[in-house]
Parts: sequence; C-alpha cells; structure tokens
Amino acid sequence: MKPTYKQVIANWGNFPVVEKEIKSEDSTKKIKEYVRNHHDIIARGNGRCYGDAALSENIFSTKRLNKFISFDRLNGIIECESGILLSDVLEVIVPQGYFLFVTPGTKFVTIGGAIASDVHGKNHHAEGCFSEYVMEFSLLNEEGDVLPCSRNQNSEKFWSTIGGMGLTGIILSAKFKLKNIESSYIRQESIKAENLDEIFKLFEESESWTYNVAWIDCLQTDKNLGRSIMMRGEHAFKHELPKKLQGNPLKLKMGSSPSIPFYFPNFVLNNLTVKIFNLLYYFRQSKKEVKSFVHYEQFFYPLDIVNDWNKIYGKSGFIQYQMVIPKESGKEGMKKILETIAKSGNGSFLAVLKLFGKNNPDAYNSFPFEGYTLALDFKVNSKLKKLVSQLDSIVEEFGGRIYLTKDSMSKSSLTNYLQNVQNPKFISMQQKRIDNN
Amino acid sequence: MIVLGSNSEIAQAFVEKALSAGERFSQIYLLTSNRETTEKFAKHLEVKFVQQSQIIEMDLLKPINYAVLEGLTSDLLFCATGYLGLGTAEGLYDNKNTERIIDINFAKLVPVLNFFAEKMERQRSGTMIVLSSVAGERGRQSNFIYGSAKAGLTAYLSGLRNYLFNKKVHVLTIKPGFMATKMTEGLPLNPKLTASPKQAATGIYKAYKTKKDVAYILPMWRIIMLVIKNIPEFIFKKLKL
Ligand SMILES: Cc1cc2nc3c(=O)[nH]c(=O)nc-3n(C[C@H](O)[C@H](O)[C@H](O)COP(=O)(O)OP(=O)(O)OC[C@H]3O[C@@H](n4cnc5c(N)ncnc54)[C@H](O)[C@@H]3O)c2cc1C
Repeated sequence: MKPTYKQVIANWGNFPVVEKEIKSEDSTKKIKEYVRNHHDIIARGNGRCYGDAALSENIFSTKRLNKFISFDRLNGIIECESGILLSDVLEVIVPQGYFLFVTPGTKFVTIGGAIASDVHGKNHHAEGCFSEYVMEFSLLNEEGDVLPCSRNQNSEKFWSTIGGMGLTGIILSAKFKLKNIESSYIRQESIKAENLDEIFKLFEESESWTYNVAWIDCLQTDKNLGRSIMMRGEHAFKHELPKKLQGNPLKLKMGSSPSIPFYFPNFVLNNLTVKIFNLLYYFRQSKKEVKSFVHYEQFFYPLDIVNDWNKIYGKSGFIQYQMVIPKESGKEGMKKILETIAKSGNGSFLAVLKLFGKNNPDAYNSFPFEGYTLALDFKVNSKLKKLVSQLDSIVEEFGGRIYLTKDSMSKSSLTNYLQNVQNPKFISMQQKRIDNN
Repeated sequence: MIVLGSNSEIAQAFVEKALSAGERFSQIYLLTSNRETTEKFAKHLEVKFVQQSQIIEMDLLKPINYAVLEGLTSDLLFCATGYLGLGTAEGLYDNKNTERIIDINFAKLVPVLNFFAEKMERQRSGTMIVLSSVAGERGRQSNFIYGSAKAGLTAYLSGLRNYLFNKKVHVLTIKPGFMATKMTEGLPLNPKLTASPKQAATGIYKAYKTKKDVAYILPMWRIIMLVIKNIPEFIFKKLKL
C-alpha cells in the first residue's frame, strides 16, 4: 500500500468537485517542509466556503491544528491553533460567560477560515468583522518561515491576510478577544414584513439592535416582493430570563426545545417545493410580532441543527450567491435582483438579507462595506449560469461586489478586489479562475 | 492517568473523551517521544478542561529511565505506542525496519508495561488499556512483521489479564482495524472499515466502562477477522492478503 494523497473533494456547495492532493500535519517542522517542497498550495479549514476558494493542486488541511493554546479567563482572550472550530471555542467559553464577538451563520468554521474570509455576522452594522477582535496570528509564508502578525508587527501581512482567502500563506494559530455574556440566550423579536419597503424600514429602525437579519421569500412578486421575516436580538441578561431558564443561564446545549426552527424538506427541490417552503416559513408565525428568548444555537445557527443539509441539493450541488450593494441604492438594487430571480423561475430556498455598517479601511481585503447584503442559495442546473450573469450585471450597475468565500461562477470584475496577495506558492482554483477571466 | 504514546491521535482523543465524560485526574502523565506535539496537547487540556498534565520523555528505542517513571501512579493506564514501519514489499529484508517494528510494538514495550503492571498489582486496583491490532490475529504476507509483533503483544496482554485478574487489575486489549490517523494518511483504506480517532475513543471509553476484555473499534472487524482466522492454512497461503 503506497500513500496517495489524492481525494475527491468539494466545498460546502458540492460544486465544483475535483480530485486533488490533501495533506495534513500537526508539527510546525513538517508543515514547513511541506510548504518548501510543494507549489500551488492552499490552506483548507472545514470547507464551509461554498465554491472553489479552498481548492488547489495541493490542499493543506488544518484539521490537525486543533489545539487550544491559552485562555485568559479574566480578560476574555483566547489563543488557539487555526484548525479549531468556532463550535470548539464556544464549548469552552460559553460556560465561562463569554461569547464570540462575531460569528457567521454556522459554527462549523475554523479560526483560520474565519480570518481568511474575515467573516461577518448579524451584527456587522454594530460590531464589524471577525478581524476587529483578532489581536495576533502566526502565518507560515512562502519561504516556510513563521511570521508573527499583528497591528504592530508585520502589519502589512496582518491586513493582507485578513480576508485574503489563504493567498498569503497558512495561518497556524491566532489570539482573539471574547465578548462577555450573562446568559446563553438571546432576547429575540421576530417581525413580519409584507414587502421590501417594510423590511427596509425595519432595518433602519433596528440599527440600535446588536443583531439583525431577515429571511426573504424570493418567489413573491409585485406588491408582495420582498415579503420577509426580520429577526433582531440581544444577548439576554440573567435577570431578564424567564424563571425556568435562570437556573442554568449559561447552558451550552439547547436541549429538546419544541421551537426548533424548521426542518428542511428532504425531497427534490423544485420551484413548487421552494414556494411551499417559503410560504410555510412565513405563515408559521401567525402574529405580526413575536417576542421570545431563544438559545444562541437557535438564533445564530439554525441550519447547523440539520446535519449535512447541503446534500439536499443533490449531486449537481448548489451555489450561494452573496453580494453587497451600497446603502443609498440598496433598496433599488435588491428590488431588481429579486424581480430578476422571480422572473427566472430559479427559486432560492434560502435568502438572507442583512445590513452592513461602515467597513474598517485597514482591513482592505474584507468583503463587507456599508450597504445591504443578500445571500441566496441556488441549485446548480443548466439555467443557473445565465441567471448569475444577469445578477452580476445588476450588482455591477449598482457598484456592488460578490463575497469571495461563496463565489464559484461570478464575473471577475466583481470578485477581484483582493490586494497584496500575489504569491508564487499559495494560489487557489478560485484565484486562477478570476485571474484567467 | 498515565498515557504511553501521547502523541497518538487515538490516545489524545481518548483523554479528551474521558475528560468530556466528566472524569478528572489529579495528574495526567503524558509519556512521549515527541515533545513538541505533546506540549501542545498539554496546553490544550489546560485550556479546554482545566486539567493538569505533565510531560515525560520516553523513547522505547533508547534506554528507559525507570527512576523517572517511579513516581507515576494512577488507576488508569492508556498505551497507544505503536509503529507501522515499512510493509513486506519495501521493508522485509531491511533489518533496521524489522527491529524497530518488533522493539516498539513488543520487545521494548513489554518491560515498560510490566513496570506499570507491578505498580497496579501492588495497589490492587487499576485498568490497563492497550492498543494492539487486528494485524496480530493472523500473519498475512503484506505486513507480517508488524502483525507478528502485535500478535506477541496480544498474547502478552491476554496472559497479563489472566495473571492480574484476582489482583483486581483489569487489562483491556483494543484491536483497532483501519484508523484514519497520521500513521495511515494517504493509504487507500476503505472508508466503511476506517474509524476516526474520535469514534475510536468513544468505543474504547465504553469498553473501559463496561470492563470488556477485548474490543474491536468497528464491529465489522470482528466478523472480518473471524473469517480470516478460519480460512484453512492450505488455502490461506495461496491468498494475496
Ligand atoms: C451555513 C453557512 C452559513 C454561513 N454564514 C456566513 C455568514 O453569516 N457570514 C460569513 O461571513 N460567512 C458565512 N459562511 C461562510 C463561512 O463562514 C466561510 O466560508 C468560512 O471562511 C469557512 O471557514 P472554513 O474553516 O470552513 O474555511 P474553508 O472553507 O476551508 O476555507 C475558506 C477560505 O479560508 C482559507 N483558509 C482556511 N483556513 C486557512 C488557514 N489556516 N490559513 C489561511 N487561509 C485559510 C481558505 O484558503 C479559503 O480561501 C457560511 C457558510 C455556511 C456553510
């Protein structure tokens, strides 16, 4: 039996699927050797980016860089290797009264992936991207040297690596700040909006809330265009909680709650089922406004409850199309986008709308800037390329851009915003595609 | 807890499993020939479980300093030392390879296990969990040096179990089949027959708690090995296994 490191592999969207070399190591010495002896390398965390970002000829998996390094329990500062998942971090910190400042919609991403994509959460307008709270990290560069990077040390590398999609090297470990919480529950309000006007008004009214997000039913047209549910939330203080939750306010698991958000239907997706799903989702809540306390798992990670939900899109896979459009023209842009989707008949199962706040100019490779962002899942089929290109044109017209960590087929003029990442060693299939376009 | 071969992913997963299940140890002794990765593990245990541990360097291929080991006492020993080495095709007539395989998996390991067995015998309590291998159940042409060393280990463990039985010390032999670890990375293993370290740890922990004597990690392996063991020798010798 001879070692062969080739594996059939795809990221979360199961598109594209490739057969490439994957290797994993936990000793710095061996990782250095690996980098010195290979070319066309990209780091891969948990493969939760959707498209071709974490794929290359040689993939270095960080799955063995899975150790914690230190935890300053007094000041809420934690340090760990880059392959640690957010879910691992939460397990350690929540019982101690801490939370992540910024978390994406799944807790199964690695710290390395969170930095390389500079992920955002439902609180971008209030608290920015993941990088705001990163104090330092160590980066293995193209020479095989380990560079300590922070705002003061190798700061150029620090900023180009943030949102740099792995193109500057392999992040080995990182240290970041945590947020204090009194309970693991979120005080949530969910409010129905009949159409786009209403949901945009709600976003503007909700800017003082820490967390805001809206789910849109994208198959509605005309006066119902933009029909959605807004969910806003705050970390609950212990004293606010209902009596029965106060006994164990920092509970880690949500236990058997009857209000598990929704089970995604397990049958073939087509326009009709998407339509039914969205109707059910919207009408599940009969009142205009519902106030409740929900566990953070349910609030932040509703999709994580269903394992491998990405498989419901079948063998051909799916893409997530996420763009940001400047705030001033946000409503107009979204309107055009939703109209185009409704007309195409290519329904999206999942559409999430968020408001981004001001960007941090130092983190020049981060995706978010002030404006509205919409994320949509589409099953890959023969009509999709055309739809993507139509949507790309609208995004371009409004001066927007596409989120690289979700991209696998967008126009290069919308995805080539990275700076200072050209590197002879580290390159992804995504970057090659963008460069060749 | 005393851990031999603490650099092993299965050993580390087992320690984490036990701690996650709520067990605490006054000290975890991490014996290892690789300080770098074990040091990382020690810090990890401190952060994740607020669990103390101490690293002790031990290389089975060098003289063992028993004076250092004298102070280590515990009710639980987990041994994951092992060395796959080169198989028959590349390594059969490479004596260095052969010696390493026999030393690490058997010859140099048994005295160390004996040393800790004696402590537990005196204590009249304890459990020794030792990883052997399904490869030890029948010599196959592809890797019978490794297999024979593990066969020796399995026989030793079964004798030790017998000897320690009325001295209140339990011996648990684990026979992992294919494992997805650094040791086997890149080998074309059947995913249905391959367990992750985490899966292995869960299985081993359960076997420990239910006082099993011999445990396989994936149940399928018990059946596979039953078949392999029962093929008559005159047929077996013609097979390419
Ligand atoms: C259900 C779901 C919800 C999501 N919600 C959000 C959201 O709300 N907000 C958001 O911003 N994102 C969101 N995402 C996207 C996800 O957060 C990012 O794609 C994240 O980067 C994935 O992390 P990963 O560890 O899986 O990295 P991978 O997918 O493996 O890699 C992503 C990128 O990071 C690079 N990378 C990974 N590890 C390293 C390392 N150690 N060193 C250098 N580069 C590295 C890779 O090269 C690649 O370019 C979501 C994804 C899913 C599946």
